[in-house]
This record gives sequence, structure tokens and C-alpha cells, in this order.
Amino acid sequence: MRLLVVEDDPLIARSLDNALAPLGNIVEVFTHCAEASAALCQGGFDLVLLDLGLPDGNGLTLLEALRERGDMTPVLILTARDGVEDRVRGLDLGADDYLAKPFSLAELEARVRALLRRSQQRSDNLLRLGPLCFDSASGRVTLDEAVLELPRRELLLLEGLLSQAGDIAPREMLESRLFGFGEVGSNALEVYVSRLRKRLQGSGLCIRTFRGLGYRLEEART
Amino acid sequence: MMRARRLAVFIGLLVASFSEAVAAETLVVEAALDRRVVAPLLDAFERSHPDIELRFHDRSTLEVDTLVERADPAPDVVISSAMPWQMARVNQDYARPLRSREARAWPDWAKWRDEVFGFTFEPIVMAYRLDLPRHMMPPSTHADLHTLLTTRQDMLRGKVTTYSPARSGVGYTLFQQDARYTPRFWDLVAAMGNVDARLEENTRAMLQGITEGRYWLGYNLLGSYAMVWAQHHPEVIVQVPQDYSLVMMRMVFIHRDAPHPRRAGEFVDFLLSREGQRVLAGQTPLFSVRPDVSGPYTAQRLRDQVGDQLYPIPINASLLAFVDPQRRAAFMARWRREFQRRR
Amino acid sequence: MIEVDGSLKRRLAIWLLVTVTGLGTLLMIEAYLGAQRAAQRAYDSQLEAAVLTIVESVQWREGEPVLEIPAAALQILSTRHEERVFYAVLDADGKRISANLALEIDPADQRHAAREPFWRDLTWRGEDWRLYGREYDSAGWETQDPVQIWVGHTMAGRRALAGELFERAVTRFLAMVLLAGLLMLLAMRVALTPMRRLRQLLRRRDADDMGPLDARVPEELRELAETLDTLFAHQRDSRDALLRFTADASHQLKTPLAGLQNASELALAHDDPAAWRAALVDVNEGAARTSRLASQLLSLARLRHVGGDGDMTRLDLAAMLREVTLDWAGRDAARDHDLGLAELPVGPAVILGSPWALRELLGNLIDNALSYTPAGSEITLGIELDAGTATLYIEDDGPGVPAELLECLHHPFERGGRQDTQGSGLGLAVVDSIAKRHGADWHVSNLDPRGLRVALHFTLSSREEP
Repeated sequence: MRLLVVEDDPLIARSLDNALAPLGNIVEVFTHCAEASAALCQGGFDLVLLDLGLPDGNGLTLLEALRERGDMTPVLILTARDGVEDRVRGLDLGADDYLAKPFSLAELEARVRALLRRSQQRSDNLLRLGPLCFDSASGRVTLDEAVLELPRRELLLLEGLLSQAGDIAPREMLESRLFGFGEVGSNALEVYVSRLRKRLQGSGLCIRTFRGLGYRLEEART
Repeated sequence: MMRARRLAVFIGLLVASFSEAVAAETLVVEAALDRRVVAPLLDAFERSHPDIELRFHDRSTLEVDTLVERADPAPDVVISSAMPWQMARVNQDYARPLRSREARAWPDWAKWRDEVFGFTFEPIVMAYRLDLPRHMMPPSTHADLHTLLTTRQDMLRGKVTTYSPARSGVGYTLFQQDARYTPRFWDLVAAMGNVDARLEENTRAMLQGITEGRYWLGYNLLGSYAMVWAQHHPEVIVQVPQDYSLVMMRMVFIHRDAPHPRRAGEFVDFLLSREGQRVLAGQTPLFSVRPDVSGPYTAQRLRDQVGDQLYPIPINASLLAFVDPQRRAAFMARWRREFQRRR
Repeated sequence: MIEVDGSLKRRLAIWLLVTVTGLGTLLMIEAYLGAQRAAQRAYDSQLEAAVLTIVESVQWREGEPVLEIPAAALQILSTRHEERVFYAVLDADGKRISANLALEIDPADQRHAAREPFWRDLTWRGEDWRLYGREYDSAGWETQDPVQIWVGHTMAGRRALAGELFERAVTRFLAMVLLAGLLMLLAMRVALTPMRRLRQLLRRRDADDMGPLDARVPEELRELAETLDTLFAHQRDSRDALLRFTADASHQLKTPLAGLQNASELALAHDDPAAWRAALVDVNEGAARTSRLASQLLSLARLRHVGGDGDMTRLDLAAMLREVTLDWAGRDAARDHDLGLAELPVGPAVILGSPWALRELLGNLIDNALSYTPAGSEITLGIELDAGTATLYIEDDGPGVPAELLECLHHPFERGGRQDTQGSGLGLAVVDSIAKRHGADWHVSNLDPRGLRVALHFTLSSREEP
């Protein structure tokens, strides 16, 4: 993967490079809006990590120009500003995620992975997580290259979880996906989740429950 | 725009002055003023205004007054010694105001409304023939005259003359004014009636009679004429009354409908001007009103000679009373009554 | 932002000008009419006098009225302005006994004058005249018919006198205005002196002098002076609070920084990679704590010192709670905790609030709970709706707080007697600030058998309110 980092602080830029390069990415760092903008025009990046306060302008301007060109490269905003206004504006302008400084590198890696995965899925119609792969065109699921036959609702549940690619899939979203908008029992969803959990046992994947919030399909911690 | 208007005004003025210059060759002056007396003044005017030809008509006061109303075209300038009639015409709006420097500077007591101006200062005098002092003490006051007329009736019968109030406007005015000053005036009238005083129409006739010896004593003569007459007729003595002496003024105004108002204004201005008044003081016996001119005939010199007993007939609205028909009738009635009273 | 809006002097001057102009116009109209009346009266009395003089000389002779018009009457009529004069004496049939002008008198006017003295203004031959007619009973031997006497004159004198009187009134008025203006200027200078004094006093003050003003001011300025004093007092308080806060913050920042320094020193002194690793772990933790502390300080400072309710808006507290909790649950920091949401009430819980401040509040509550409870603790957020009140709460099953410290938890840098966590002690201070800003009560209580509950009571916004 080819990542573009726009960050004027050398320490943070270096640590970003150090953290992301070992994951198999090519990281290019720019310290100014103008240079970054020029590089972006060339295209070919899979993800942009964008700092907002730059010496020659606001990163939001860069983002705006990027989206106006129709370039849908995922953008993760990194900033020391904690103002909600900036966050909302950034997301409005088409940023895909937002991380406030200070952040832990682990958090950053997770977000980057999720974003990359999502962009990957958009490009090949395959939803993947670890050994699991879901072809949204054919509805075929493979686990460790073996086809996994699933009933319809479990398939819908898996698709819903995978579509969030490592993020929490809100409960309301899953319920409407599985049962439509009709009234369902509070534990109806839980039934399908536990069924799916059983199927995934031993695969290195697990479904974690967030009380009142939703579920997340994640790689089990060793 | 502005310029066009200015040009129009200029052309207008040009045309006006041109047409006036042609027409103003003749300026008509209707005057109750002896032409022979006033000739030097008229000559002086014609010399200083060679473009104006004066047509000066010497008429009686009655004629002048009638012409003010009747003449067509109207005369340019009207001069008369019949002060009440002049005043009445002015009050009737027959005069055109004169707004000139001379007019403004003219003394207030000698003008009215800047429309009519008294420009001469003529004392009213008594005159007697040299025969009189041979028989009696000649009178120097009105009282003296009265005493003389009552005490020497026999000797003076038929030898006294004065104005006819009925036939002479000037005479009427003078008697009216006399009557205003003292009620004893009527005694004087009665005394004159008692000596069969002869009533003349003008001063000239009275002077003529004195020179010819018909009259010994004349009352209320125009001093201006009498003084000139006395210079050439040594038998005539002029006496300015010592108690009071009336002063008559010739009144001049520009007619409302004057065909040449501007020229007429120049003429009146000349009468009031220092130059005009100097001619008046030096070459006519009409006496100058202005205090700033010198000559034998000036008001100032007259005052120096006879003292402060000069009573000019005031040029104001009170003159109008004299022309009131009823008042005139009443006055004439009384005159006749007193004149014919026999003792 | 101070905008200069004209000057007091100019404003006073404009008022004065407006008043004087308005009043002056009225006065001038009154003066004009008054002058006209006075001139009219003065000259009318001349007409009356003239009539009296004339009537005196009317006599009856052989059944006919006879008039010897007195010269004095005409002189009176003419006045010193040399007016044209008119007189007419009419007998009982309206026939002219005597008259000097052809001026016709309206029969109606004659009838009027028969009853009472009558005045008439008219224009004759292009000139304005004023006539006066009056009827007199006259007694003769044969007849007792009344006679009517009319007199009149032109009006130049009246105009001149009225003009003169008016001019005098105008002059007097202008002089008065001038004088009043000067006095006003003087008065303004005197009256504005206290203001100048106050200005000089303020100008001479030192920048950090927050003591009360010591000035003698008139009644009208007292409020301003008191407001200034109150302002100074506020500023003094707020400056003191800021200084205290800054000192505390510096102190708080120094502690983890000292830890960082110590740990790195220790690591540098050792050759053992294991010791390095241990030191790096400490450094990492210390840095994380310091940065959390810094961001909390920042939000606290912002809450306390950036005033204004400009961003207050109607929002659904439940939706916000769900959104923020979802955000935090997905974070790495919550990996070891069971962070969850209780069943939320059906329908929105709309309150009037500042979105960023409430996010901050929720974030701090969650962060606090994560920091002060051991891994694996259960943290639950929820909302309870009651009549007009939405109670937002967060519960954990951690160790709780000693009862005697519950009261002072909202003070900055208070950690509930704990020194073993990454918490800075600022979280609840931030919460307190935000709750106050929203007018919300909040309580901390220990749960039975274990755990802590923090509850905030917001007033629900009714639909009518903005």
C-alpha cells in the first residue's frame, strides 16, 4: 500500500513512518500543503494521513480540493485541534476518519488498517478479515479457503459485521439488516450472533459484544 | 442664459434711451412761475442738458391745476405756487416719486413722500409807496398795519391793495395761513374792507399799482417779485413783517403719466441740485432752500436779515384742508362777511 | 468593541439647535404677528384720533351739516410716514358732505359702521389702505341726523413699524440664542469635568491595578463608576482564579515530566536491555498521561475562560450518548473494559446544550471511568427520563470513592485519593464546569456493593423554547 503523510512535525512524521512501513506500506512524507497537493495530483495513493495545521495553509483546503477533483482516496485526519467544528467540517468535506493528537500508535494502526480494508473492499467486492473472505457479488463465504455454507440471516449478519471492517457494527444496523424494520425481541439478534460465534470457533476470529451498542468481528487476541 | 438676459436688458435700455433721446427733445413743464424771473435757471438747465429741449409754459395756478388732470398727453413736470392744490394732486396719486440722491438729501420740511418738493423760499412781504412815510409811520408788523388801517381810514381809503382770495390761489393760501396764526386776522380783513382795499390777482398787478401811485400800501406780496421790482422802482419800499413773515415755496412734482419720466427726473434733480439752487440764489429772487449755496437770495441770508420770524408754509397733509370745498366755502363766506363789515 | 457614536457635545448642540429652531420659528411667527398687531394698534389709534378731531368740527347750519376740515386731523392721518390720506363725511343718506378722494365706500361697510366703529383694509389704485368709519349723532337746532365719518391712510407706516418691531425682536432673540449657546458651552465644560476626571483617573491606572476606583462622581456617573468597580472586581477574581489554575496546572505537569526525566535517566544509566525496556514502558505511560493532562487542561481552560452561550442548540442527548459511547467503545483504551449502554428510553431526550461541551463531558466521564477502574470492569451509561428531566448517568463496578472525598471530587486535580492511575484529576472538574454551564445538577455516589455512579440532571427542552 502506498500512504501519503502530510505532517510538519518531524518527530511525529518519523514515528508514523516507523509504525506504518513495517506493515508493508510505502510511506511518503510531505511537510507542506503545496508539495502534498502536487504529489496527490499524480495519484496512486491508497490512503492520506492529513495534519490540519500546516505551515502554508489549512489541511482542510487540501482535502476540499482533493474531493472536488473527484479523488476518493481515503483520508484520515490527524490533528492537535480538538475542536468539534474542525472535526465536523473535516468529515463534511469528505474525510473518512478523524484521530485527535495525542494518539497511541496502536490506535492509529487499527484505524489505518480499517480504512485500507474498506478501500480494498470497494475495489474488489471482497470483504476480508483474517482467514475470512466474503464475496458480496456471489454471496460466497470462505474460511481458510474452505467454503462456509451459512443460512441467510447468518450470512446477512456476517456481511454486516464485515462491512464495518473491524469497527463496531451498531446493533440497530444489524437488526434492520436481518429483520427489516419490524419489531423483534431484544435477544433475537443475540441468537444469530451466538450461532455465528460457534461457526467461527477456532478460526482466530471472534465476535465481541458491546452492551447496548453492537458487535464487532475481530481477530482474537492471542 | 444669464448673458442672453443681460444682453436683452442692455438692448432694452439702449432702445429705451434712444427712443427717449429722440422724443425727449421736448420736456413739457407746466408752471405757475413767471418765465422772466426763472429764465436764468432754465437757461442753465438747457446748457447742462443740451439734449433736452424745455417747453416751459407759464400759466396761472388754476390752469396748471386743471392741466394736471386734463392734459393729454400729461405734462412731464408740474410747478405751482398754489401749494394746497399741488398737495391735493400728490395725495391723489398724480405724482411719481423721485428716488435720487438729491431728492433724498432734500430737507424733510420741504418735501412730501419724495414726490413733491418745495424748491424756492419766497418770503411774503408788505410794500408801500414812498408817499406813505410822508404822512404816517409805515407799518413793520401786522399789528402796525391794523392800527394804521383803523386810525388813518380816511387817508388810506382806496389806496390799499392785497390778493383776492377768490381769484388767486396763492392769495387764498396766504390768508388761510394767516388765519391759522391769529384770530385777529379777521380784524385786519375787516379793516381792509373798511378802507375799500382793492383785491388783485397777482403781485405784479399790486406792484404796478403802487408804482403808478394808485396804491400806497400793499399786503401779502410775493417777496421775490417785490424785491426785484423795488430794485428798479425806487418809489417802492419792501417791508418784511417783523412779527412774522410767511414763506411760500414753489412745489414741483413729476407727473405720474409723464411721457419722459427719466428726463423729468433729471430736470427736478437739477432744480434741487447745488448748481440749480446756486442759479436760483444768484440770478433769481426766488431764494435757495439749500443751506450750502451762497448768493444774494438764500434762505439763510434772509434769516440773517429778518431774524427768525420766517414761517414757511409747511409742506404736509395739513395743506389738504385748504382745498376742502366746504372749508373753502366757509372761509370765503367769512371773508366776505368780515370784508363788508362796516363800522 | 468601542464604536465612537458622535460626541456628547455635538449631541447636546444638535438638541439645542433643534429646540432653538423649533422654538425660534414659533417665537418668530409670534413676534411677526405681534409686531403687526402692535403697529396696527398704534396706527389705528391715529385714525381714531383723526375721527375725533374731525367730528369736533362738524356743525349744523340751516339744516345742513357743515364741516371745516381741521388741518390737524389731516396731519394726524398722514403721520410722520407721510401717508396718503383720505377722509369723507357722509350724511344720514350716505351722501358725501365732504371728501378728498373718489374712494368709494361699500354700502355694506357703511351699514356696519352705523352700528359700531368699523375697520376695513382695501386696495385702491394699487395701494393698500386702511379705513376707519364711525357714526356720530350730531345735535343741531333743526335736525338730529347722524353723520358718518370715514378716514383712511396708506400703510407704509404700519409696515415700517411692524418691520422695525420684528427686526428688534429678531435681534433680541438672536442675541439670546448666542448668549444661551455660549452659556451652554460653558455649562457643558463644567458638567463634563467629572467625566474628564474619571477618564484621567482610568488612564493613570496601572494595567494590573484591579482595585476599586477612588473617585468623586456626580449622581449620573455613579452607576458607571460602580459598574466599573464591579468589572474590576470580576477581573480581579478571574485573574486570581487564572493564576491559581496556572500554578496548579504547572505543578501537575511537572510531576509526570519529572517521572519521564527520572525514567529516561535510569535507562541511560543501565546497560541492561531489560531495564531499558522497563524504562521505556514507564516513559510511554508517562507521556500518555502528560498528553491527556494537557488536553484536559486545555478544555478546562477553554470552558472557564471562553464564555458565551452562542453555541447552545437543541439536541438529542440520547443520540449523542449513543454516538460518543460507540466512539469510545471502539477505541483502544476501552479494549480491556466492558463499556456498554443501558437500554435507552424510546424517543429522543431533547435538551438545550452545547454539542462540543457535551461531547467533552461524556468523553471525560468515560475516560474517568476507564482510568479509575481495573481492567475487566463493567461500565454502563444510560439515560432516565423523568418529568421534565433527563438524567444522564454512568456506573461502574470499580472500587468507588471513599465517602469523605465524594464532596470534593469536582475540584481540579482531585483524584479521589488515588495515585495509582493515569488520571489527572481534571476530568470531573471539566464535567463540573460543563454541567454548570448547562444548569445541570450532578451527583456522585457509591454503589452497593461496589462501584461508582455519576448522574447529571438536565432539564428537557420543551418544543416551544428556542
